[in-house]
Amino acid sequence: MHESIDANRPDTYAAANRDIIRVLLKPNLGWAVLFIIATSMMLYGFWCEFQQLTWGLGIAGYNPPIMWGVYIVTFVFWVGIGHAGTLISAILFLVRSRWRTGVYRASEGMTVFAVMTALLFPVLHLGRAWQVYWFFPYPNQRYLWVNFKSPLMWDVFAISTYFTVSAVFFFIGLVPDLAIVRDHSTGLVKKIYSVLALGWHGTDRQWYHYMGAYGFFAALAAPLVLSVHSVVSWDFAMAVTAGWHSTIFPPYFVAGAIFSGCAMVITLLLPMTYAFKWFDYVNMWHFEHLAKMCLLTSGILTYAYGVEYFIGWYSQNPYEWGIFYWRATGEYSWAFWTMVFCNCVAPLPWYSRKLRTNPWVLFIISIFVNIGMWFERFNIVISSLAHQFDPATHAYYRISPIEYGIMIGSFGWFGFWFLLFLQTLPAIAIAEIKEMIAPPVRGATHVEAK
Amino acid sequence: MSAAHSEVASGTRIKGIYAHLDCLLAGIEKLKEAGISGFQVLSPLPRHEILEAVYEGRPSPVRWWTLVGGVTGINTGLLLTSLTASQWPMINPGGKPVVALPPYAVIMFECTILFGALFTLAGLIVHCGLPGFGLDKSLQDPRVSDDKFGIAFLRASAKDLERIAAILSDTGAIEITRGDDTIYEVPNA
Repeated sequence: MHESIDANRPDTYAAANRDIIRVLLKPNLGWAVLFIIATSMMLYGFWCEFQQLTWGLGIAGYNPPIMWGVYIVTFVFWVGIGHAGTLISAILFLVRSRWRTGVYRASEGMTVFAVMTALLFPVLHLGRAWQVYWFFPYPNQRYLWVNFKSPLMWDVFAISTYFTVSAVFFFIGLVPDLAIVRDHSTGLVKKIYSVLALGWHGTDRQWYHYMGAYGFFAALAAPLVLSVHSVVSWDFAMAVTAGWHSTIFPPYFVAGAIFSGCAMVITLLLPMTYAFKWFDYVNMWHFEHLAKMCLLTSGILTYAYGVEYFIGWYSQNPYEWGIFYWRATGEYSWAFWTMVFCNCVAPLPWYSRKLRTNPWVLFIISIFVNIGMWFERFNIVISSLAHQFDPATHAYYRISPIEYGIMIGSFGWFGFWFLLFLQTLPAIAIAEIKEMIAPPVRGATHVEAK
Repeated sequence: MSAAHSEVASGTRIKGIYAHLDCLLAGIEKLKEAGISGFQVLSPLPRHEILEAVYEGRPSPVRWWTLVGGVTGINTGLLLTSLTASQWPMINPGGKPVVALPPYAVIMFECTILFGALFTLAGLIVHCGLPGFGLDKSLQDPRVSDDKFGIAFLRASAKDLERIAAILSDTGAIEITRGDDTIYEVPNA
């Protein structure tokens, strides 16, 4: 794999079209096996949810004081995964970072599907999923509205806004590329892509307003990268629960989200690049930047973990210090040290350029980071609830088989959509790749408009 | 269909296809110098040189949609939270005032972004003319999504037709079509 952005880049726009759309609608054995596995996991998750709907939330093993379990842990995990896509597509667009071009479309897809997965969990956590409309402000006979002062209601607005804006940004970016697929297909496929491309034909009027709007979409999406996980962190930080009630939570959560999201981009894009032989578009140069982002955010997380302990000790509050001491030494110390190892220690080899440009090292460490970030949320959610102020209420939480099933199902659901995306939509932004190719000119020098 | 059939009351379609960006830009400049307007440029990617040549640095009006959306959103967030709380003032969690701006700021921010994005999308659809299924077929050229550029007149006046064809040809168009008939073509271009 090349280690430079310009290495072996195709010479012509037509070559870029051909290379990127040649993989569409051509499932191979490897894709089919992964798709069957993902679909099976998803169906198992559906079955578990059916059991939960039938028998009630008790089947998930929730008992006081731990009423937020794996569903909330996995919800926060998936919201975090969804951060990297918008960071890469919006913030890196605004700062004109060149390494975004090859990886942003797949990252955006990952974001949309991760947030779709996250959105399932508040509904699953409700138990009575049919009453999900209670989340939303709607006029009713009792004039009883939702409580906008609650962080949970902020979360409803934050996640739904994030999903809507990310999905719109994703689709708008796709439109010119869908037109390319339309123009290279025939029959029913052409008709389907014609509808999806919305009659895009690359007129100056279309490009003019498109470019104007795209910048605004990026500008609107950029603050969401920082705000969404801040709002998610307030679900915890606004509660007077030892281990949660901390002002460090928003930056700590945002850094963690970018850390896990970039690691997931490596996990997904590295095999994709090898499977589709897209080395001319995504290469070690891109993965090295992603690894550097992970290193930066891993450093911020390590600092945040340390500050939490320092403040717990320095506050001389026995409850505050008690929860942090117990996290590292109590019944959940295995989860705590797994988190510390995966998030603080495992990424350290990436400080070596030789190791962070080795695909196997990149892939394996990215998996460790994904595991570590799930355990970070497990530590925050479970250990604080299991060890609250009154020692008589201290408890130990075990994940029930139904919760395992639904968590596995969520990975299947995400994989199902991501694999479908790889087969049906251009996973690399063709129009933006073309912007990085020297335009065809007949004269010896490039001619600028007067 | 012959060229005569594609003539409408106000003019005739004429289109030049270019293989090179510098030739296309030269074509746009020559047309502007000749005082001929009413053309559309086709391009496989957003080149700033083309947009500069055609729009001369004018910003897209989509930005006004974004502004109106953002202002609508922040007001919607404020009114939704304040009016609903005022309607049932007995809900007073944590001793907060009935209309408490700090917690409502989160909702106002989210509504600003949401409405800003949705209005921008609406502006994009309106100004781009999407869905563009009804575009004139001379603008629907699959070569343009590949690697070619184009200049198309949907309704060129009869007095300009010859001048346009000459400019397109002189500036390096590899194919010129008038109505549905190809009148000039560079083989294997």
